[in-house]
Amino acid sequence: MGKVIVITSGKGGVGKTTTTANIGAGLASLGNKVCLVDTDIGLRNLDVVLGLENRIVYDLLDVVEGNCRLRQALIKDKQYGENLVLLPAAQTREKDAVKPEQMLELVKELREMYDFVLLDSPAGIEHGFKNAIVGADAAIVVTTPEVSAVRDADRIIGLLEAAELYEPQLIINRVRPDMVRKGDMMDISDIDDILRIKILGVVPDDEDIIVSTNRGEPIVNDKRSKAGQAFRNICRRILGEEVPFLELQERKMLNWFKKILSGEAR
Amino acid sequence: MHSELCSIKGNRDGLVITIMDSARFSEVLTTLDRQLKSAQSFFAGASAKVMLKQGELGPEQLDSLEQLLAVYGMTLDREPPRLQQPVSEKLAVERPERQERGYEPENTLLVRRTIRSGQSLHYDGNVVVLGDVNPGAEVICTGDILVLGSLRGVAHAGAEGEVDATVFAFRLEPTQLRIAHLIARAPDGKVTKPAGPEVARIVGNTIEVSIYNH
Ligand SMILES: Nc1ncnc2c1ncn2[C@@H]1O[C@H](COP(=O)(O)OP(=O)(O)OP(=O)(O)O)[C@@H](O)[C@H]1O
Ligand SMILES: [Mg+2]
Repeated sequence: MGKVIVITSGKGGVGKTTTTANIGAGLASLGNKVCLVDTDIGLRNLDVVLGLENRIVYDLLDVVEGNCRLRQALIKDKQYGENLVLLPAAQTREKDAVKPEQMLELVKELREMYDFVLLDSPAGIEHGFKNAIVGADAAIVVTTPEVSAVRDADRIIGLLEAAELYEPQLIINRVRPDMVRKGDMMDISDIDDILRIKILGVVPDDEDIIVSTNRGEPIVNDKRSKAGQAFRNICRRILGEEVPFLELQERKMLNWFKKILSGEAR
Repeated sequence: MHSELCSIKGNRDGLVITIMDSARFSEVLTTLDRQLKSAQSFFAGASAKVMLKQGELGPEQLDSLEQLLAVYGMTLDREPPRLQQPVSEKLAVERPERQERGYEPENTLLVRRTIRSGQSLHYDGNVVVLGDVNPGAEVICTGDILVLGSLRGVAHAGAEGEVDATVFAFRLEPTQLRIAHLIARAPDGKVTKPAGPEVARIVGNTIEVSIYNH
């Protein structure tokens, strides 16, 4: 039976969809069967990041309303085929068109079919959040190293804990080592000091992500890209491997990573 | 009333005989005699100091007091010139602070987790947090607040006007701190991090933060 992971954030635009696509592609390339579910009803974009927009016939709402069979709605990825599929979000209906009970049913069915079910959730704490977390076993919280994003991440962690989704893990996205070094950006230890949840990965800010997104190909398998490397490491950690953190050309951070790895930091 | 005239009490310094007014010294002696008699040999071997709330005691009066005490196997400690010191002040120094407080909430809530952004805790009594109070979170209670972690959100102790309420944290870096009717906010810009546990309380008309030492 597969594992269901929700990818969420407090603040919008911090990289949930990018993260979902890259973890999905990364896990698939490591030999797992993965299903991505876009629960962001109304603002569908996982299909765009994966370059699958033009193949959508049915969506999540069609499935829960019985307009089609589940398998009919699942879109196979260009590169990974059967091993990476997308269940697209409904585009036109209102946010509360899908009920949490329906979502739970759907997720139950998907976890029987796949090793990993990744739920890309809408930002924030509204109805969509409830829908996204209802069937999940684990949660990944994405934040950027900004005070407001961290604050909102903290809020989401509180809500996840209240929903009994304990021990969410953190991805810090769009880190700029040059800015951290100058003291213009929160460093990893500042963020950890507040959120105090396990850090699953740190992804550098990388222009190539924008290029890859426009091309509809996740960056995770681009061997030259630091962000791609970071996502590959995240995938291996999800699979239970101990992978040292990337050195983002930043000494202070590196030392700190060594500390977490040796268990000193907590 | 005789009972108000004088009293014998043991405290951590030994035995203290408090005399309200030296002008009624003969009455004091009679009362003391009766009190010592009823205490049987309870005070035998003890050395007693005298505290005077009002008036003065001459050497002759001290002599007669000494003689009276001797009857009950006690000695008089004439040394420290403690006369004249008002009893109430003395007590204020000697007693732990809490007993001075007019209002002491009985209830204490133990919170075994971090209070995160957007979460708000209201309680009638004291609150102890075994975790952090994060930025964007608030704790409001009628008594004291103790955070065994970092306090970075908003804390309001003594929310119903108790000016003796305190806020303690291992790392006291609140966004805003309120005690009773007073409000203090974090200074703007970068702040040096506190080195250790600190406690905030009202001193005069402001909230003051000091390093915690018990
Ligand atoms: N590490 C990165 N480096 C550079 N750009 C990035 C990075 N991560 C994300 N982006 C860009 O940031 C933008 C927002 O990313 P994304 O759509 O993944 O965020 P989101 O959290 O899903 O947003 P929403 O809350 O709207 O769903 C995109 O344009 C994406 O290409
Ligand atoms: Mg998104």
